[in-house]
Amino acid sequence: MNNHSIHRVVCISFIVLLFFSCKHGDGEYHGVTDKIKAKSENYHGTSLSSEPYLEGVETIEITEGEHSFLIPERKSQIKSFACTECHSKPLSQLQSKDGKKAHWDIKLHHANENTMNCVTCHDGNDMNNLKSLTGNSIDFNNSYNLCNQCHTKQFEDWKGGAHGKRIGGWAPPRASMTCVNCHNPHKPHFETRWPARFNTQIIKERE
Amino acid sequence: MSSDNKKWFSLNIGRKNQETSSSCSCGKQSGGCGGHDHEEIKHIEERKDGFEQVFDVKMNRRSAFKQLAASLAIGAGAVSTSCSMFSDDESKEKAQIDWEEQFKGNYKLMTDEEKKATVDRLVRSYQLRTGKTISMSSKNAEENVLFGYAFNISKCQGYMDCVSACVEENNQDRNSQMQYIRIHEMKDGNGFNFNESDDNYYHEVPAEGHFYMGTQCFHCDNPPCVNVCPVQATWREDDGLVVVDYDWCVGCRYCMAACPYDGRRFNWSKPEVPEEEINKNQHYLGNRLRKKGVMEKCTFCVQRSRAGKNPACVEACPTGARIFGNLLDPNSTIRWVLENKKVFRLREDLGTEPKFWYFMD
Repeated sequence: MNNHSIHRVVCISFIVLLFFSCKHGDGEYHGVTDKIKAKSENYHGTSLSSEPYLEGVETIEITEGEHSFLIPERKSQIKSFACTECHSKPLSQLQSKDGKKAHWDIKLHHANENTMNCVTCHDGNDMNNLKSLTGNSIDFNNSYNLCNQCHTKQFEDWKGGAHGKRIGGWAPPRASMTCVNCHNPHKPHFETRWPARFNTQIIKERE
Repeated sequence: MSSDNKKWFSLNIGRKNQETSSSCSCGKQSGGCGGHDHEEIKHIEERKDGFEQVFDVKMNRRSAFKQLAASLAIGAGAVSTSCSMFSDDESKEKAQIDWEEQFKGNYKLMTDEEKKATVDRLVRSYQLRTGKTISMSSKNAEENVLFGYAFNISKCQGYMDCVSACVEENNQDRNSQMQYIRIHEMKDGNGFNFNESDDNYYHEVPAEGHFYMGTQCFHCDNPPCVNVCPVQATWREDDGLVVVDYDWCVGCRYCMAACPYDGRRFNWSKPEVPEEEINKNQHYLGNRLRKKGVMEKCTFCVQRSRAGKNPACVEACPTGARIFGNLLDPNSTIRWVLENKKVFRLREDLGTEPKFWYFMD
């Protein structure tokens, strides 16, 4: 073999190497979206679980459409539940001038007077349950069914996980706050407040 | 011993046998090129740790002198203490730990046993120095996990509870008031204008006519900070976290300059955290105590996320604006957000592929 052919062989093998050193499509992704798509095709779970972080939180499992997840149990968290402990008689009989006032601290700041008052959600004849707009009974634990009569968009986001804070960890099983864990149903908006911190060092650096 | 199986990085001075390069010519970070993995595994079959990695290198006289000089300070101290008749067992152990820590390899290249050994040394060292016990993890990336984050701009109210939680969780320097997260107060109608937004406001929030947008390390899938590191002290883990080996970082701040999102922070002074405020649940790549002159940044709270928990910012947010999860799990909430909301990322045109999406209600 002369020098020429050796050169040629080296050249060709180098070019071949170049082509083979980068196997496209075999584990290479052009962008993270492709990577997620390809890698999640054979997804078979992880060994991690949120269960240890949910200890001490009493939860109930709900299924809404194709979504199943846990929400905190509500009734045990309501101080004066069961309501019938006081509401043993119809409301009209309980209302008197000399009796002790109850619920004096509750003012409704939710929609306007035309849309809502106490009995839009509460049932005077069945105080232990809530009631839908059409008069169906709704359990206090599933109060989200009351909210989603109007707040349909938020409900969709909540089911999917875009609205409502997650409890425990990111790992399954999923547990999410239900509406009333963050929003006071009688006054659902968030208050303005001061930020948790102020960085004085940044002020100095900017001077 | 042969130096073919070395797993650390060194200049090839005075050594005859050249290694075949295994670097990829396509330059793509995302997932890397197929075909190299096996080669690399073969490459690091025979592993060494500690000063073997440093000393078991064929070197000429000059580089040997350099190595010795660099290690003289620590070496002299260690030797004098460990050989001294007067120092007690504890200070000898301390010296031994310092010695081994000085000559350990890059965390990225360590075997699981080596990772455990360095973590044990650091825990013991802290115990010897302060009398307090910390727990430090060296947990590797979980299989089938790729971490992702979504931030709801409509929900954030600018309370900055996330910032406080982050500082406490990650043992950030209290003196310089370091914070990984910045919340930008943006004026309605001006778009995402970072030049005109304020990330250090102090008034009642949410302020009329403003919205809030948080930034932090986006854990890019094609991270520019990783490419520029001259010593490979920062890299992307298999679960997508971009991490820093604080003991390998030389503090050149190239990564800080390369990051288009201001995601990285530098310790200009010795970071200080009051003893009673130190978070003792630590990870080697996460919130363990740093030293002066090294880079650090958000790790999606690796000490928490690799245990299945949410990062501290997600847990602290009272509005639920922060969503974290496994991008590879088709049933995860983060996947639902990506598939059903209108999401975008910051400066997507740069090709950095952040794993941090923004969306609105």
